[in-house]
Amino acid sequence: MVLDPPSPFDMDGKVAIVTGSGRGLGKAMAKALAAAGAQVVCAARTPEQIEQTVAEITSDGGTAIAVPTDVTSSAAVDALVARAVEAYGRLDVMIANAGGGGGPQNLEFWEYPDDAFESVVATNLKSAFYSDRAAARQFVAQGEGGVIVNVASGTALRGNQQFAYPTAKGGVISLTKSAATMLAKHDIRVNAIVPGYINQRPPRDEQEAEVRRNRGVRVPVRRLGDWWELGPLALYLASDASRYVTGELFIIDGGGLAGGLAPVTFAPAHEIGAAS
Amino acid sequence: MTTSGTPVDLAALPGPAHLRLDGKRALIVAAESPVGAAIARAYAQAGAELALAVLRPDEAVVSAKRLQRELEGLGTRSTVYVMDVVLGKNVQVTTRQIAKELGGVDIAVCASDLFLGKPIGRTSDSELQQVMAYNFNAHFFVARSASDEMRRNDPAGGRIILLSHVLGERGLSNTAAYGAAHGATQQLVRSLSQELAPQGVTINGISTGWMDWMQDRLDERNDDAGRAVRFTLPRRAGSPEDVAPMAVWLAGSGAGNVTGQVFHVDGGLTQHL
Ligand SMILES: NC(=O)c1ccc[n+]([C@@H]2O[C@H](COP(=O)([O-])OP(=O)(O)OC[C@H]3O[C@@H](n4cnc5c(N)ncnc54)[C@H](OP(=O)(O)O)[C@@H]3O)[C@@H](O)[C@H]2O)c1
Repeated sequence: MVLDPPSPFDMDGKVAIVTGSGRGLGKAMAKALAAAGAQVVCAARTPEQIEQTVAEITSDGGTAIAVPTDVTSSAAVDALVARAVEAYGRLDVMIANAGGGGGPQNLEFWEYPDDAFESVVATNLKSAFYSDRAAARQFVAQGEGGVIVNVASGTALRGNQQFAYPTAKGGVISLTKSAATMLAKHDIRVNAIVPGYINQRPPRDEQEAEVRRNRGVRVPVRRLGDWWELGPLALYLASDASRYVTGELFIIDGGGLAGGLAPVTFAPAHEIGAAS
Repeated sequence: MTTSGTPVDLAALPGPAHLRLDGKRALIVAAESPVGAAIARAYAQAGAELALAVLRPDEAVVSAKRLQRELEGLGTRSTVYVMDVVLGKNVQVTTRQIAKELGGVDIAVCASDLFLGKPIGRTSDSELQQVMAYNFNAHFFVARSASDEMRRNDPAGGRIILLSHVLGERGLSNTAAYGAAHGATQQLVRSLSQELAPQGVTINGISTGWMDWMQDRLDERNDDAGRAVRFTLPRRAGSPEDVAPMAVWLAGSGAGNVTGQVFHVDGGLTQHL
């Protein structure tokens, strides 16, 4: 008799928090983990959006709850982890995805104000630290290891005019490597997803589709990425499929960062203007 | 130095002791190339003795002789050699001869480079071999023969500097063979840094981007060709004189603890989106 070996991608019995899962990439990741059997805790500031994510997961036969959270507050993030443990008894995965651009555009470097810089750093870097730390505490208390996935950005790997955002995301990359080093002895793996240009949802109309097609020309595979394409990567990193992988960056960008020298066909980003 | 404006006037640079190369014997392979010649001039100004090796017995010899006279004007002795870098044996024999004549080799620079821009389907076996020969094998042979001479120095030791190109670490259509060969050269730097350290030899790479002597790499019929320099942050192609100061620093006494590194001299080309 041949027994099917258990799939290393199976998430049955595992509990995962996905921050920023009210829309976009986080929602796609939450749905992918739920589809693989995880119990998912969806967090973001807008209750209706995370409730919508939960509704979609449960109507597909999955298990999830929504916990409204502002990840720029460490107390709120600690409470989020406590709520997950209260609901499902444990925590196995933290996907620290909440974040985004914002901040003033097209300012000269020397004009950039304190409050804008601090707010972008809070949303993208402090939030990742709070999330990773709260999860690590819980993982160490449980004594069975755990998985952390941070979401950085390709903009962090090269210079970029948006400035504060790539700077914060560069911090997320560094955080990932240090946390992986410090937490390995507790069997906690920490990796980062580094997205390039990813559409957050289907286009609203033909005009938006056209804008996306034009931007896609700059990417070696000649199109932007789609939100759902983050799901399989998140599942790989959250599951035992990646059990020997830690401290690494997973660039998902259609080849953009591999190239970037092209004199023909592609226009340089510093002439077109930055994008997130 | 700012990133914009005219190339540096090397003679006007102040010369701290760690940038002096007085009494050092330097071998420059591909001295007929713009960057090889610029490094030769900078080394001469820093006080080194020079062996100028050209890759082929043709006009290359004429331009090397011209360089030799120019260096004489600076009060620097140099000798011109032909070194066929396609064959390891030739590199070895010529390097041996140079070491005998100069009494040793302290610094070896290899600037051999041959561009090929072609889709993989149209790249022939012999083109691939040529590209590998001039962009990788040459560097391998020079490192092998020069490190052997440097081992015999008293005390043992020396500096090897390989010129490479940023296409060795970034993908660009139609440069698969060229980029792969340079990628190999950059890995050679890292591997040999470990192997040669015990004998006091450091090895480093200088990786250039769009340089002013590379204009022939662009297809002028293509409207986009002129845009190449826009991918550099200072909006100008690099010049040989932009590269030479790095080669002086790496050869000088201040860089003895620097090895296995590939430095970009590319106007920020690889560092922005
Ligand atoms: N899409 C891309 O091309 C791209 C590229 C590189 C990196 N990224 C990164 O990928 C992640 C997801 O981005 P996305 O494109 O999916 O963006 P999005 O569609 O704007 O979604 C961002 C999510 O994060 C939540 N969020 C933002 N600030 C928050 C806060 N203070 N507390 C809690 N939740 C917060 C948002 O919900 P609320 O506003 O309701 O709180 C939302 O659910 C971000 O970290 C982003 O920087 C995206």
